[in-house]
Amino acid sequence: MELRDLVGVIEFPHLQLLMPEIIVLLTGFILFSLDLLYKKAHHRLFTVVSAVGYTLALLYITLNPFLSGSTFYHLYVRDTFSSFLQFFMILITLFVLAFAYRYYQQKLSLYREFYYILSFSLVSAMFLASSYHLITLYVALEGVSISFYILTALLRGDFNSKEGAFKYLILGGISIALASYGAAFMYLYAGSLDLKEILTHVGENRYFLVLGLVFFLIGFAIKIGAVPFHFWLPDAYQGAPTPVTAYMASVGKLAFFAPVVRIMPLIEEHFAYAWVITVSIISAMTMLYGNLVALVQKDVKRLLAYSSIAHSGYILAGISVAKVIGLKAVLYFLVAYALMGAGAFLVLALLERHPEWQNRMEEFSGLRFSMPWVATSFMIFMFSLLGVPPTVGFVSKALIFTTLSFDRLWWLAFIMILATGISTGYYVRLVVLTFMKENSKPFQVKSSLAERIVLIVLTLSVVFLGAVPIIIWSFVSPSAEMLFKR
Amino acid sequence: MERLEATFPLLPLSMMVPVFGSLLILLLPERFSKGISLFSAGISFLIALSSLLFFDFSKAQAVQFYQYYPLIPELKVGLALGLDGLSMLMYLLTTLVSFVAILWSVRDRQINHRLREYYLWFLLSEAFLIGVFSSWDLMVFYVFYELTLVPMLFVIGIWGYKLRLYSAYKFFIYIFVSSLFLLLGIVSLAVEHYKLFGKFSFSYFDLLNNHYSLEYGLFLFLLFFIAFAVKTPIVPFHTWLPDAHGEAPTAGSVVLAAILLKMGTYALLRFNIGLFPEVAVFLMPVLVLWGIFSIAVASWYTISQSNVKRFVAYSSVSHMGFVVTGMFLLNMEGLRASIMEMFAHGLTSASLFMIAGFIYNRLHSFNMDSLKGSAKYMPLFAIITVLTAFSSMGLPGGSSFWGKFLTILSAREYTTLLAFLVLVGAFFSAVYILYLMKVLFLDSKEESKLVHFTDVRGFKLSAFLLLVFPMFMVGLAPYLFFNIFDKSAKELLLLVMRKLVGG
Repeated sequence: MELRDLVGVIEFPHLQLLMPEIIVLLTGFILFSLDLLYKKAHHRLFTVVSAVGYTLALLYITLNPFLSGSTFYHLYVRDTFSSFLQFFMILITLFVLAFAYRYYQQKLSLYREFYYILSFSLVSAMFLASSYHLITLYVALEGVSISFYILTALLRGDFNSKEGAFKYLILGGISIALASYGAAFMYLYAGSLDLKEILTHVGENRYFLVLGLVFFLIGFAIKIGAVPFHFWLPDAYQGAPTPVTAYMASVGKLAFFAPVVRIMPLIEEHFAYAWVITVSIISAMTMLYGNLVALVQKDVKRLLAYSSIAHSGYILAGISVAKVIGLKAVLYFLVAYALMGAGAFLVLALLERHPEWQNRMEEFSGLRFSMPWVATSFMIFMFSLLGVPPTVGFVSKALIFTTLSFDRLWWLAFIMILATGISTGYYVRLVVLTFMKENSKPFQVKSSLAERIVLIVLTLSVVFLGAVPIIIWSFVSPSAEMLFKR
Repeated sequence: MERLEATFPLLPLSMMVPVFGSLLILLLPERFSKGISLFSAGISFLIALSSLLFFDFSKAQAVQFYQYYPLIPELKVGLALGLDGLSMLMYLLTTLVSFVAILWSVRDRQINHRLREYYLWFLLSEAFLIGVFSSWDLMVFYVFYELTLVPMLFVIGIWGYKLRLYSAYKFFIYIFVSSLFLLLGIVSLAVEHYKLFGKFSFSYFDLLNNHYSLEYGLFLFLLFFIAFAVKTPIVPFHTWLPDAHGEAPTAGSVVLAAILLKMGTYALLRFNIGLFPEVAVFLMPVLVLWGIFSIAVASWYTISQSNVKRFVAYSSVSHMGFVVTGMFLLNMEGLRASIMEMFAHGLTSASLFMIAGFIYNRLHSFNMDSLKGSAKYMPLFAIITVLTAFSSMGLPGGSSFWGKFLTILSAREYTTLLAFLVLVGAFFSAVYILYLMKVLFLDSKEESKLVHFTDVRGFKLSAFLLLVFPMFMVGLAPYLFFNIFDKSAKELLLLVMRKLVGG
């Protein structure tokens, strides 16, 4: 073979496609080097460097929203779908960053590795959104998971934090093992690791493929906390430092659902029937379990963790209808949850800075008198999680209903109504406590300007993007249609 | 249906006035709250009254003052605001009662803290309610329908009586969960429209063109019905109501009974009958009997109450029974009866709750017995009470007379037995009102605690008069009101006929 032929096959990597990832990764490396080289570098520097890096990446995505193509031999794909998800991933990470600095300062365990691990985890999450190949998927999944284990354990003095991380590690290990087992089966079947190739060559003897897909999806089900694979999630969420919980809940959801969403069109082509049954049953269990268990929680952080499980269930209900309309609903829901979930946890992160705050439900009594604006914002997040109009939560639930009614999956719709009904119990209880009970001793938590801005932005966007859903919709709709056109 | 475009944005304006008022309340010091809210509710009421001048009565079946602002063009969701005769009546009721409720609150002793929030919620509630009654887009209707829950949750939960938290909670959960069925129903309609015509639409006018098999129509009808039956409420879905009413502050109960319950009946008329006429005809016998059952059971509960507020609450349930019975008789007199009773109940229940609130302010008790013999010491109050009670009872000349009379008349169109059943219901409602009268005024009391109490006056008297006057206007000059909504009722009936003949 001549050299020219060889060069012909070698693809020149289109680095401009990867630019956001490169920027975030570089930020991570800079932070890492800073930590190694300057023992006394201040945290403020780390925060600023991360913020600048993320903002640059965010700007790049915003300025090139329609950048698309694949590179590295189809190992990496950029399209509107991935850009859309990545935009929100970076945005939420920026928000979390605003809260992290003071949180760690207060908890007196300010570890600088937080900053670069956050970067590496963000890069992996971004890769998850744009991988269409089992190798990239696998590596990215591992990247997100490993950084999540470390981030969970960052409160080194706290038993819960360590316990959460340990449980997460064990289950995460199982999840990865199953996913890679699934990948192996799929490779055995198709002789390729490209998901598209695997699923477009569905032939007669598809046992290995089905087996592979099942294992692969169970791996992801563990990650998204779908019942009955949910065990790690509440402990990990509760144990993790609260800004990290916010990050895990929202960015984690965006990242782990992305590959599942990406393969939906292919599944619809070949396995629609089995898919509907399996996923809808998992979804029903997840919705009911998450909400029922959340109802009896006394610890608000744990409650929100279970509510996050329940929301995975709602998203799965949309996924069960593997159609373009379902995909649109799911994409909208993912973004909606990322905003309101992050908001709810970040309010907790703020309140937790008060030395006596234990996250118990009663402590919310009369929050309106202590910190009226935080209470209002918390109320709006609760109403949005519940699905009261005109919030993003409402629109996303309405979209899921539309999807289910499209396929006439009435039983699942009724389960969803039941589950939402159960959730009314705890969301409204929190609102009632916050606004209608008097508190014995008012307290104050000082918040920085950045934190206030973040809370205001999140609160307003939860309401505004719900009242004018066309804004997110105009991104969601083409992305979903693009995925189905492949 | 015909739509007459508005040259002047009357409805958006009348919704913006309270919203703007609530913004002002938020920005200005608390001492201005009362004034601002009175002013904005007053302006809103005046706008509603003036809209009568521009309302084309010869085309009362058409949707007038119609305006459309697209929200999601792709799904054809838009703010479609307009009034036909039926909406017009509800619009008048909403602005009137909201104004009265705020007028009442100004001198209510219960309302002595967090004034800013209180008036803010009332104004917002008014804006949302106008939205409910004037929306012709089902998604937007749903949004307003749900939004009305939030102000009431706060009003009951913060300014209510002893068990306020429990009641607020129960109220919210009941209505929120039942309306999820409504949401499912609405999106299913839009999906059906998509499957039939290749386009999504939430517009009422577009959805009128949908057609379903009877089974599927029945299913959708039930999805809507669950939500509205809870809201109305029809026995046995009524259990949230006595708690919510019993614990809400007076003005809260007033708005709750006079307007919020009407949302349920209005929607039953507009959506259940309008969108699924053949199902309504199919289910007619069941629903009519259900309505009569509801009247009887609720009357029974009413008589056994000793708490004035719960008494009025249960009596509301029985009145709603008349409304439901009337509308599902599906003839002209029935619809007239139903709509007339909706309006009449709006006035009388508001007044009755204010009477209960007045009693509580004086005696710190809702117990009926504590009021024995008040006629002697508070004559004006006694007169107002008697007028309201007789009006509510259905005495000729009072507002409820037409509702009850026409229901009996329309039931007679089917069988005498049915008319007799309704008559028994009407009899019950006379019984409990007379019982109330007896306890309040006729039972003598040796040493009345009431000796030192002053009679009703000032703000409260004017609030009462604002309700009593239209009550008798309805009773004595019903044609004024028939003029407003008759053509809409006819249009609704035409829909039923057309579907029946066509199908």
